[in-house]
Amino acid sequence: MPSRRVLVTGMGFVTPHGDDADLIFDRVYAGESAIRTIRSGREEVAADVLVGTADWSPDEVTPLQKVAMDPVAQMALVAARRALGQAGLDQHDETLSAAGIYMGCGLGGAESHEEGYDEYHRRSSRKVRPSIVPRVMANAPAAHISMTWGIRGPSHTFSVACSSSAAATGEAFRAIRDGYLDCALAGGAEAMLCAPILVAWEAMGVIAKEHPDGPAASVRPFDLARTGFALAEGAGVLVLEAEEHARARGATPLGEVVGYGATSDAFNLTQPSMEGQAQAMKAALADAGIDAEAVGYVNAHATGTKVGDIAEIHAIKEAFGAHAARLAVSATKSMHGHLVGAAGAVEMGLTLMGLARGRVPPTANLTDPDPECDLDCVPLLGRELPDLEYALSNSFAFGGSNVSLVARRVTD
Amino acid sequence: MGARAKIEEMLVQKYGVDAERLSPGATMSDLGLDSLSLAELVFDIEDVFGIDIPADEAEFTTFGEAVALVDRHLSTRES
Repeated sequence: MPSRRVLVTGMGFVTPHGDDADLIFDRVYAGESAIRTIRSGREEVAADVLVGTADWSPDEVTPLQKVAMDPVAQMALVAARRALGQAGLDQHDETLSAAGIYMGCGLGGAESHEEGYDEYHRRSSRKVRPSIVPRVMANAPAAHISMTWGIRGPSHTFSVACSSSAAATGEAFRAIRDGYLDCALAGGAEAMLCAPILVAWEAMGVIAKEHPDGPAASVRPFDLARTGFALAEGAGVLVLEAEEHARARGATPLGEVVGYGATSDAFNLTQPSMEGQAQAMKAALADAGIDAEAVGYVNAHATGTKVGDIAEIHAIKEAFGAHAARLAVSATKSMHGHLVGAAGAVEMGLTLMGLARGRVPPTANLTDPDPECDLDCVPLLGRELPDLEYALSNSFAFGGSNVSLVARRVTD
Repeated sequence: MGARAKIEEMLVQKYGVDAERLSPGATMSDLGLDSLSLAELVFDIEDVFGIDIPADEAEFTTFGEAVALVDRHLSTRES
């Protein structure tokens, strides 16, 4: 099969920084953290938890749609609407009837899952709500997007924890590059900020403690005072298209996906491996057919854990060699939190927008860099990089699944 | 609140039905409800009214039939 260029012609997001892509980028570029605390749990066991809650309007989804949609699918729908709007595609377009949809989702309809269990135990009856299964299933976001816009190509949902939507994007990229599809929606969604789930994450000791300077200062990747991450909810959808197809219908390219690398650590369920991560980055660079020296920016996976951030720095050094010292590496989870199933897509979106604008977001709260994280991690202030052409976006998951994506600025 | 008014409120608020379309002869499909939404509505009706609607009775077609069904169960319970 001939190899084709894969352009990005639309992007849409629902994030803690809102649901307007340009405003999201501007706020993240300005170093603004959207992390806050919510009161979570029933009275006796309630506590303040640091999270990134989605800043969006559920009113965009009709009441009837909501009957069968968990918030995770609702957010995905809104993100898809934004992306398709930007791409200039609607449900009557033949492009969509031939398109595929590749979504990532870690936990599926978490809120609906909790309601279902709650109802079963409370009612002590074998009769429960009929909408539970469709609301809980992890493929629901993809299904609703497919139904709403008449997308009739393959529908795949990747559940690879923190690298779900990066994997989805990579696979969609490959499907188009290798000629299986002309167009695909790629992205992910996650909405799991429910009390029982939050305590489960806390039990692993990976959730950030509140910093003396407040919630917004609490997620501090690469910083000596880092204590972990904040979970977040949201969605990201990218419209990927074969170049000839996009040009033929006069679509404006926003960027290009040029490489995808995916590896498994085969090491530990929750501890990262430098080797596996480095290999994913090297594979992505080789897939893109570029040397390490061509890359100017890396959007790190870095969540703010003691161990994870260091592993990634070592992996970047291994993958890029001497050039690592010349890279700008920023951890935007410092501001939007860990979107899990949506992380890869949102972060790839930020990377693409940074490439298009020639400027990259900072790592917020990086006031005291850990000496073991001794790369240029763009502390506090966004950076103008007018010559930026290629960038890498990393997503490294529990279970040791690593995905790296290479993006390119489009100038033609 | 009577059964009719309560069911009307549920349809408008949870199922997004336009109140003006709620005539006794309006079919569930006219009102935009597919089979899953209909099953969910039956569940909600049982929950809200504290009644139990057997599967063979749950296949009402119109708004009027739904109200009649609930009234029947409520009066059976009271007697």
